[in-house]
Amino acid sequence: MRIVVAYKWTSDPEEATARADGTVDWSRAKPGLSTYDPVAMELARQLAGEAGAELIGVTVGGKGVGAPIASKAALGRGLDRVVIVEDESLREAGRAELAAVLAEAIRHIGDVDLVITGDSSVDVAAKMVPTVLAGELGWPAVAEVTAVSGQAGALRVERAIPGGVQVLEVSGPAVLAASADAAAPRVPGMKELLAAAKKPVELLELAALKVPQQNAVMTVVGRARPERKARKGQLIDTADPAAAAAELVAALRAAGAL
Amino acid sequence: MDFELTDEQQLIRDAVREFAQSEVAPIAAEVDRDHRFPAEMVPRMAELNIMGLPYPEKFGGAGADQVSYMVAAEEIARACATTSVILLAHASLATYPVYKFGTDAQQERYLHDMASGRRLGAFALTEPGAGTDAGAGTTTATLKGDEYVLNGSKIFITNAPFAEIYIVFAKTDPAQGTRGMSAFIVEKDTPGFSVGEAEHKLGIRGSSTPPLYFADCHIPRDALLGGEGDGFKIAMQTLDGGRIGVAAQAVGIAQAALDAAVAYAKERVQFGKPIAALQAVQWMIADMATQVDMARLLTYRAAWCEDTGRPYGTEGAMAKLFASEAATRVCDRAIQIHGGYGFTESYPVERNYRDAKITELYEGTSEVQRMVIARSYLR
Repeated sequence: MRIVVAYKWTSDPEEATARADGTVDWSRAKPGLSTYDPVAMELARQLAGEAGAELIGVTVGGKGVGAPIASKAALGRGLDRVVIVEDESLREAGRAELAAVLAEAIRHIGDVDLVITGDSSVDVAAKMVPTVLAGELGWPAVAEVTAVSGQAGALRVERAIPGGVQVLEVSGPAVLAASADAAAPRVPGMKELLAAAKKPVELLELAALKVPQQNAVMTVVGRARPERKARKGQLIDTADPAAAAAELVAALRAAGAL
Repeated sequence: MDFELTDEQQLIRDAVREFAQSEVAPIAAEVDRDHRFPAEMVPRMAELNIMGLPYPEKFGGAGADQVSYMVAAEEIARACATTSVILLAHASLATYPVYKFGTDAQQERYLHDMASGRRLGAFALTEPGAGTDAGAGTTTATLKGDEYVLNGSKIFITNAPFAEIYIVFAKTDPAQGTRGMSAFIVEKDTPGFSVGEAEHKLGIRGSSTPPLYFADCHIPRDALLGGEGDGFKIAMQTLDGGRIGVAAQAVGIAQAALDAAVAYAKERVQFGKPIAALQAVQWMIADMATQVDMARLLTYRAAWCEDTGRPYGTEGAMAKLFASEAATRVCDRAIQIHGGYGFTESYPVERNYRDAKITELYEGTSEVQRMVIARSYLR
């Protein structure tokens, strides 16, 4: 079985700061794998362990995504090799364009049975790429995946839905977006990290991929913080617990909370 | 000159930090409070190939460099000083002599198990009458036919009785002083070798440091490590590297105290604003941060010297001297910033403060480090 994990090389959110206007300043954050991508890698590893599979990492983006440390960080988490499209023109690319480039890279790899992605990227969090990628490949997309087992052509996928779990049988290639808590990523072992430098890294030229033109352009035109309600500051005397409880219930009803 | 860690060193730091913060930090307070040896951490660190990080893969180690090992030790110490000393005593003090001085047969028998972390090691040099004056030990090893017979005692032996393999220093020729000292590999449960009661200590309370007793303990002749009379040299060379590890441990403890002080200063409001707004506190943080950074740079420099085949005895002594004294100062200031709360067990800084002190004492007190440094300058 051949499994592709699409990952993003971005920044560590611990070091990002929020500006007064609600936007995030990533300038002092050190680069790293997007927070939820190791969850996808862990899910892929668990499936590969069961089914015996080749794990291939794919990433696309601006200058820096092909840096040795980025590849080693991904390869150190159990991937067998990585395929990278690094082009400065992709730095400001929209989600749809990035998904289209990923699709071409996956076609270049060939014979891919499954693509697993993280829930969303930690810096943009558009939650679009897995679905658009699936559309570009002509495959189904399943989000909020909590477990996957089985073989190529006969996968069993569990998906978190409100109030429960949905179980799907997937007979063909698909794109699965792992839910953020689908698996606890294992800590990489020291030998794994040191061996990462010896694993294959393939760099693809963007121009050679012939990515189809994207027509829809999306621009963020505004953002706002949620409206903060003023505190009521209502004090209830608890000397008589029964009366206090009744007063609390009445107050909560009046406020529309009950 | 490049002050950046290599890609591998950064990835190792990040992975060990992930392990230390998620698995080691949560048990640190309980390990300290209950004086509990965190035995479960040994196989876990072995699983992550941390127990023999700097030893070659062919011997069961991870094949990393000394800088990577120091980075890993610092991250673990930042989470729990006890867990870091278990690792350092095993990898730097017990495994190193077998790696450096062991015969093929000894390496075959012990090194893979030690470097892989499958069997824990300990280093037994210190005696009741021989601490700083390590050459004054009175434990003897008498050759009788095809065996050596050990008699004597050791104190403050880290990792006993959990260790299975002990590097024991004993006099094969007491009349020769330090030149009459030899090193031996002694296995746990050898008849005549027993372990005493654990010490209750100020800090690194989960680290087990009991005395060892040798009463007509017969060991095979091939348990001798190196040649007769090589023991003192083996001990000193081992400690030269070991003290860089103690420096890394001190950096980790100091960093933990600094992190706690910064977080507290931003949250604690007095006189209507966080105490971080007060210049007195700002200057304390500035001094603490500078000290931690200096200690870390000296530690990395000493490890780099070892990695690049340069002499590292003086550099290691400087790193250990500075980092240990800095850790004590930084932890003291961290409690000061916390005020009365810092004096309680509800905050981690009182544990950091108690843990820091040992770094000024073991593997050569600060006075020994000063002797080593002075000797190299005044030769």
